[in-house]
This record gives sequence, C-alpha cells and structure tokens, in this order.
Amino acid sequence: MSEGTGKGGFSLFDAEERILDGARRLLDRMKDGDPDLLAEVGVLADAYSRSVREQRRLVKVSDRLQNQMTQLNQELARRRAEAEEALEQLRQAQETLVQTEKLASLGALVGGVAHEINTPVGIALSCASHLDDSTKAIRALFEADDVGVDDFERYMDTAADTAKLIVANCERAADLIRSFKQVAVDRTSSERRVFRLADTITETVTSLRPNLRQGGHEIEIACPADLEVDGYPGVISQILTNFVMNSLTHGYADGRRGRLHVEADRGENDHVRLRYRDDGQGISEEYRNRVFDPFFTTRRGSGGSGLGLHIVFNLVTGPLGGSVVLENTPSAGASFLLEFPRVAP
Amino acid sequence: MDNLFIAATERSPEVAFDAAAGTLRIKGESYPEDASQVFGPIFNVLQDYLGQADGNGLKVDFELIYFNSSSAKALMNMFQMLENATDVDIVVNWQFMADDETMKEFGEDFSEDLEHVTFNLVPVS
Ligand SMILES: Nc1ncnc2c1ncn2[C@@H]1O[C@H](COP(=O)(O)OP(=O)(O)OP(=O)(O)O)[C@@H](O)[C@H]1O
Ligand SMILES: [Mg+2]
Repeated sequence: MSEGTGKGGFSLFDAEERILDGARRLLDRMKDGDPDLLAEVGVLADAYSRSVREQRRLVKVSDRLQNQMTQLNQELARRRAEAEEALEQLRQAQETLVQTEKLASLGALVGGVAHEINTPVGIALSCASHLDDSTKAIRALFEADDVGVDDFERYMDTAADTAKLIVANCERAADLIRSFKQVAVDRTSSERRVFRLADTITETVTSLRPNLRQGGHEIEIACPADLEVDGYPGVISQILTNFVMNSLTHGYADGRRGRLHVEADRGENDHVRLRYRDDGQGISEEYRNRVFDPFFTTRRGSGGSGLGLHIVFNLVTGPLGGSVVLENTPSAGASFLLEFPRVAP
Repeated sequence: MDNLFIAATERSPEVAFDAAAGTLRIKGESYPEDASQVFGPIFNVLQDYLGQADGNGLKVDFELIYFNSSSAKALMNMFQMLENATDVDIVVNWQFMADDETMKEFGEDFSEDLEHVTFNLVPVS
C-alpha cells in the first residue's frame, strides 16, 4: 500500500507537499527578518507538516482496515457458498433416499398383491380341477351306458357349486387386480384427477390386507361415499400406506391385535379432515415433536430409515397444500390429523 | 487527444474517458493496493484535456459503490483539479444507490468546496 508517488506518477498528497515546500521557502526567505515572526510561522509550518503526516498515516491505516474487511467478507461469502453447497448435496441425498423409499414400498405392495391374488386363483383352480375330475367320471359312466339318476344329480350339484365358486373367486381376483392397478398407477404417477376419497381409501386398504391379516389387525373406514376430492389419489394412498405400516411396525410390535381407523369428513372452508389412528403402543412424549423430522426413527438398526412420516409431512404440506399434526390422545395409540383443501392448490 | 478505457478489476473501477464527447465515467468499486496507479492515468488524461479544452465542456459521471480512504483522497485531488479549470464548463453527476446514505454524504462532502463545477447528486434504485 502506498500513498506516495506510484507508477501512475503522482502523489496523493501532492498539493500538501507543494504547500510544505512553499512553507520551507517562505521560512528561508524570512530567516533574516523578525525572529519572533519566524518562530511563529515555524510553529505553524511544523504543525501543518505533522498534520499531513498524520493524514497519511490515517489513510494508510484506514486502507488496511478496509482491506481486511473486504477479505473477511470474501471469506465469509466463500464459506457461505460452501455451506450452501453442502446443504444442497444433503437435500439431494435425502431426495434420493425418499425415492428409494417409495420404490421399496411399491415393491412391498407388489409382493402383497401376488400373495393376495394367489388365494382366489388357487380356489378357482382347485374348483376347476374338481369339476374336471367329476366330468371325466360322469363321461366314463355315460359311455359305459351306466349313468344312474343319483350319479347324474350329484354331478349336476357339483358342477353348479364349483361353477359358482369359480365365478366368485375369479371376480374377487379381478376386483383385486383392478384396485391394485389403481393404487400402483396412482402411486407411480402423481397424476391429478377428481376422485372419490372413499374409493381411494378402500383401494389402499385392500392392497394392505395381506399385511394386516398377518397380525390379525382390523381396519375401519368411515368416509362419506360422495366426498369428492380434486387432487392426487396416489399421494393419499402413499400417506395411508405409511401410516398403516408404521402402526404395524411400531404400534403392535408385541404381537397384539390392533384396531386401526381411517375417518374422513368435510371440514370448514371446503377442507377435508382425515384422521388416522391406531390403538397400539403410541408415541412417547419425548419423541412427539420429532417424528416428522427426516431420519428420526426409534428403530435404527432394525430396518427403520426414519423417512416414513417425513414423506407424509412433505406430501401433505406439498402437493396437498395442507397440514398434518400428531394429536394428543387420552387413550392409547397414535393419532394423526390431516387437513387439506378439497381442491388441491 | 487520446481516449482512455480501463476495465474494472475486482478492486478497481471501470474507467471510460471519451475525449471527443468530453465525457468521463468511473464506475464500480475502488479499493486498490495503490490508488495512484488507478487514478494516475485518469489525472493525466484530465490534465491534458483541461489544458486544451478549447471551449469544450466536460461531463463526469461517478457511479461508485464503494471506495477506500486513499481512493477518497485521490477523488478529492481530482475535484480540486476540476475546480481549478475555471475556463472549462464542468458537470459532475454523483450517482448513488437511493438507500446508500454514506455514498450520498460523500458526494455532499466533495461538492462543498466546488463553486465553478456543477455538482449533481443523482439517487438511483
Ligand atoms: N403408529 C405409531 N405408533 C408408535 N410409534 C410410531 C407410530 N408411527 C410412527 N412412530 C414413531 O415415529 C418414528 C418415525 O416414524 P417414521 O415412519 O418417520 O420412521 P420409521 O418408521 O422408523 O422408519 P421408515 O418409515 O423410514 O421405515 C418411528 O420410529 C416410531 O418411533
Ligand atoms: Mg415408518
């Protein structure tokens, strides 16, 4: 740093230097004159010279301070950029995890689907083969010209019964496939449409039946059949799935049979109120305000990633434009209340 | 008569002097290591121009966001030089962000010693 003559060929204190030169020349010219006057002018010249020196010093100090401040600011900006970048990376990692989680839950769904459809298809198959056996037997008798009235009546009964069972079970399988397909499609595409809330709830619950049945849990749905929502059925389905899976893993780990409830109704201002609750172990006081945090889980190490409720939170506040709270319940169990506009934003 | 253009750096302003048009613009931030290196060339062209202005005027636009103490000193010298060129019509436009009180006060300070130079405070947003 320099306030002297630089490469530009001028001094910041050029004017002051010229005045000082002038003062020196003046003193020189006065040196034979009145010594008192000379002394007084000398004092003035000295004072001015000191003052210019002081100015130079101040400019130098001030420049240095301003420089440091600028460097600090740059350092600050750099650190902030770094922190922001780290945050962005974290957010992306989280996003990836959320996607993985969604895929995993879709995988579980597909597994459940296969299991669920197996039952009616199995029954239909055994009915069909039973009918086949009976038909072969009656044909053999017929070809031997040995069919009695009893034989024929028994065959007619068998044919009617098995046909009825086959039809019923095939219908059941078709129903299941239809609702699974709906859930899977809604789940993978976040398509917006107008839908009956009760249908989406029922379809989702149906797709979760295998999981529920395993522990002997019951689920009750209360929702006006004509409640129509303009929004994202896939999102509702994902939310309910996460709630139910949480109840099963956290609420009834001790093997108790649970009663789960999904209750939806019209709220104020064209909003929908949807409550999900179970009568399981519940959530202890110390965790209550952390359950929606990403990566918060009480089952780290045994398969919990702590994203389930975070995803719920994001889905409710994001696409649904609503809110979700963990309710204080006097009775045992966990209870979540969702409120969102009937027509999504 | 030469024009002068110096691109801005991280620590010094952009300088654009157009001799034919009689305009000088200094724009940006100024906290160089060596203020005389930045302002020396400006002084030189100004001195030449003012010495042979021949009835032409000069308009100087300052669009400074920030400057350090030695730059302030250099600016003061520059205003002195302008004020001393009594035979040239000189207009200075001191531009500052409307919410930057400090920059406005600097402008007012500089204008205090000016009589012959027309000094305009120009708030921008
Ligand atoms: N129905 C519930 N009953 C009791 N505790 C629950 C219930 N739902 C959530 N919790 C508690 O909230 C925590 C966070 O739930 P969350 O769904 O976010 O994560 P997780 O189920 O542990 O892991 P993940 O869902 O990612 O597999 C759980 O670890 C559990 O302690
Ligand atoms: Mg979970």
